[in-house]
Amino acid sequence: MINDFHYLKPASVKEALAMYAEHDDCKIICGGQSLLIVLRQGMLAPEYLIDIKHLDELSYIKFDDKDGLRLGATTTHREIEKSDVVAKKYPALVAMEGKLASIQTRNWGTIGGNLAHADPAGDPGPVLIALKAEIKYGNSKGDKTVPLDEFFVDYFETKMEHGDLVLEVHVPAPEPKSGCAYQKFNLLDSDMGIVAAAASVALNADGTCKDARIVLGNAGPTPLRVTKAEDLLKGKKLDDKLFEEAGKIASEEAQPVADIHASEEHRRHVLGVLTKRMLKKAFEEAQKAA
Amino acid sequence: MSQKKYTIINTPVHNIDGIAKVTGRATYAFDVTLPGMLYGKILRSPHPHARIISIDTSKAEQFPGVRGVATGKDTLGIKQGIWRRYEELCDEQILPLEKVRYIGEPVAAVAAVTEEIAEKALDLIDVEYEVLPAVYEPLEAIKKEAPTIHEGVERNINVTRHIEWGDVDEAFEEADYIREDWFKCSGQHHMCMETRCAVSSFTPEGKLTVYTGTQSAYYHQGLLAGVLGLREGDVRVIAPYTGGGFGGKFELDAAQFCSAVLSMKLYKPVKIVFTREEDFIASKRRTPMFYYVRTGVKKDGTFCARESRMFSNGGAYTGMGATALYLTGFFHSFPYKWKGYRYDGYRVYTNTMPSTSMRGFGAPQGMFCSETQIDWICADLGLDPYEVRRKNGHTPGYEVPGQAFIGSCGLEECINEIEKWAKAKGKLPANRGIGISACGFMTGGIFNWFDTPYSFSSAVVTINVDGTVELYVGCQDIGQGSNTTMAIIAAETLGVKIEDIKVHSGDTDHCPADLGAWGSRQTLMTGNAVKMACEDAKKQLLEFAYAEMGINIVYDLDIKDRWVHIVARPERGMKYEDLVKKALRGKDGQRIMGRGYYTPHRKGMISPAYSYMMQAVDAEIDPETGKIKIHEVMTAHDCGQPINPLGLVGQLEGAASMALGYAYLEDMPFEDGKLMNPNLVDYKVIRSTEMPPSPSIEVDTYEQEGPYGAKEAGEGLTNPTAAALDNAVFHALGLQIKELPITPERIRKALAEKKAQEAQK
Repeated sequence: MINDFHYLKPASVKEALAMYAEHDDCKIICGGQSLLIVLRQGMLAPEYLIDIKHLDELSYIKFDDKDGLRLGATTTHREIEKSDVVAKKYPALVAMEGKLASIQTRNWGTIGGNLAHADPAGDPGPVLIALKAEIKYGNSKGDKTVPLDEFFVDYFETKMEHGDLVLEVHVPAPEPKSGCAYQKFNLLDSDMGIVAAAASVALNADGTCKDARIVLGNAGPTPLRVTKAEDLLKGKKLDDKLFEEAGKIASEEAQPVADIHASEEHRRHVLGVLTKRMLKKAFEEAQKAA
Repeated sequence: MSQKKYTIINTPVHNIDGIAKVTGRATYAFDVTLPGMLYGKILRSPHPHARIISIDTSKAEQFPGVRGVATGKDTLGIKQGIWRRYEELCDEQILPLEKVRYIGEPVAAVAAVTEEIAEKALDLIDVEYEVLPAVYEPLEAIKKEAPTIHEGVERNINVTRHIEWGDVDEAFEEADYIREDWFKCSGQHHMCMETRCAVSSFTPEGKLTVYTGTQSAYYHQGLLAGVLGLREGDVRVIAPYTGGGFGGKFELDAAQFCSAVLSMKLYKPVKIVFTREEDFIASKRRTPMFYYVRTGVKKDGTFCARESRMFSNGGAYTGMGATALYLTGFFHSFPYKWKGYRYDGYRVYTNTMPSTSMRGFGAPQGMFCSETQIDWICADLGLDPYEVRRKNGHTPGYEVPGQAFIGSCGLEECINEIEKWAKAKGKLPANRGIGISACGFMTGGIFNWFDTPYSFSSAVVTINVDGTVELYVGCQDIGQGSNTTMAIIAAETLGVKIEDIKVHSGDTDHCPADLGAWGSRQTLMTGNAVKMACEDAKKQLLEFAYAEMGINIVYDLDIKDRWVHIVARPERGMKYEDLVKKALRGKDGQRIMGRGYYTPHRKGMISPAYSYMMQAVDAEIDPETGKIKIHEVMTAHDCGQPINPLGLVGQLEGAASMALGYAYLEDMPFEDGKLMNPNLVDYKVIRSTEMPPSPSIEVDTYEQEGPYGAKEAGEGLTNPTAAALDNAVFHALGLQIKELPITPERIRKALAEKKAQEAQK
């Protein structure tokens, strides 16, 4: 049963931040696709909820060839999924959104809320980190921007402190000759991933690997970059053998925990398989890209 | 063969309550609010096995807003059960006085002015327990040294069941090949959209009214009267709509019992609604089973003998488990002819949530083991799995020795249809396979463990002056569309339109007793009662028509589409509405009333009729991750004459989804007696958007025992799917998986074992 709370509805981001600064026992709600579950389970019982769902100033998708993509925090998953420019420039992002929970959840859940919730099984985190995204958050005193892979600290914990609100996600313009891919392993397509892997590959003019990122989902307390596996690829001419090897390393670097959905061994194994497959897919896309 | 001369039967129609449901006007028990109503919450045991030393409710009683607390001491302490003909199987006190036997068992209940207050007051009840050693698995609980769960029950064996026919040992001697396997079948949650819910209102006149979701208002009337010390007639159960049952809603549940006890104590209406978690941990489940199966066949694939032993996890109490124990053993033989057959089933108590009936009633487990082993035997001997099933399958008129008489049977046609479908697919890509499974199921049970002196089904029909029809039945519409089915049968029989029929069901004060919605019984049993009642009423109407029309008595009269006419000269007749008015005058104003009933006789031990089907699952397996992708589930189905083809498709698709869930997704893992996934995030149910195509074709049969030739549909199709999927995995990758659900990890383990075996060779 959800405990009673005071409902606050600010008229602007500024007012939201002021309210947040004023109340100690307080949570932000912006759709509640993650928050309501923990409220209902009684894991959280805040005295105040600040609803920012209606704050249109944070709802936008902007793209510029030089600057890249900017997503306002209250932009819904469905809006990202349905965006033509995102589909054209960041197809992996759209593919990921297309399998994030159900349409009902995507219609209501937001990108900022998803990242602030910091569930290591969340889908957007790994893809956005593979795309080298950064995140802007702020409070009544000012804001700051950090690379997304530094944003997550622990299970359901980010660098944000009380009073901080996610404002924007920024994804740099796609590099030439680059590709990105993401897949989660689950039994129902629209479920959370039991484990997941995102990979991005950028190639040099000679076809060797300029840069690669591998980010695992639900394989540790945060979306997990497996840097040893990434390093293996850099500067090399990529092939299936290397992908296989990178998968093995990723599987060793991962820190998955067993639960009723899969053993630790199975998670490690599947992480290796997904890493291999996503690298290959990202590589093939990079080869095709301009 | 089907007669196909029907006006309404076999025409697709939407459920008559569909609009009320989709517009939110249908009133479920959850929607009921009565003046002065209190809200109840249930305190549940945190221990799998413990002695109750004391319960102190004083602090909770003093909490502001609390109106009363009930414990076992407020009850008559009666041990109840739905097998009320057998005292030893009535073993459950819903608010126990001495011991708790599973985590989640009710211990006390609070009534307060709000649900929130009731919930807070639960924390103020002080229960002192002496924790006892517990046991969770049947093969452990059956050991000598295991803790005793019910005093006086040796080795925790709750019920045993023996089924045997033919000379089994001799039949095994005739076999050229014998195969033995052990199987483990998992539990499954009913997952009703409506959780358990009841509003009970006891008045100073000594009458109790209970609004609740139920599969049988009559059973709940009888069970409540029994445990509360009331006369059946003083208990009124009202259940106009029920949000799903699937076998889980015909035993007495704690929402019904606790709200009634509190209401009788306080003389106020009390409402109790289970949370989703409560429904998961304390509303019973499909019975987990361990099966040992030994089968002997001849070289040419003729089945000789089968001998099986089964140990089921009964959980803490009997419930409907005793019936599941019998039916799993019987349907484990289905749909084949065995010269010798022997089954020994043991239902074992454990300190887990009780297991009970669930859609398929034990058959899905028995058939999973049987149908997979048959495919493996075919592979061992190089036989064609279609041919072997055809060779040994039931045929019309067959008698299962000492058990059952088979009337109509379209099994062979079903096998032929699926074979045609599968072969048309041609050669499949790597890692993809088609698995098949044949099955049959009952059309209502003949058993009377409830010991009712009433007919199994009854119906009363009265005709109003304007020709509209009041149909009173005790069958329970739980979403499967039985009210629509009854309206169709009534309209067809009387010769009126569906919209002329008002169906009254789900109220024990106004509807005749009926055993309710279980074992696929209502279409046949209530359907026959409705047909008989309508024929009775129609005969009375036609008596007046003969007189009014003044025709030669050798002519046949009939009514179709509200037109009363001579069968041989349909243009000669009169309006049905006019006839009704005249008939009313002719009877001194008495309404036309028809009565009908059905009680099975001379139909063997199990059921009056059997449906048959064959299913194929086309599945692809990712050998690296073990993930299964299901491309299609195809069914050929014999349910006799379909009454409502649209309702039939809905039932078959629903069955396919529930059965697929059982095959590869749904599981109820326990740790130290605690269910690990009591929520819809961790318990996996197939979503509508992810359901693979599941078409079906009907083969043409006519069942003499059924109304207009109809028999079972919708429950039986939960039986074949787990085996069909497992057989698809077998044909795709050569794996023999003997444990449900078929998870990626089990597939990987089997693959690793297969590789190791091949390396040894």
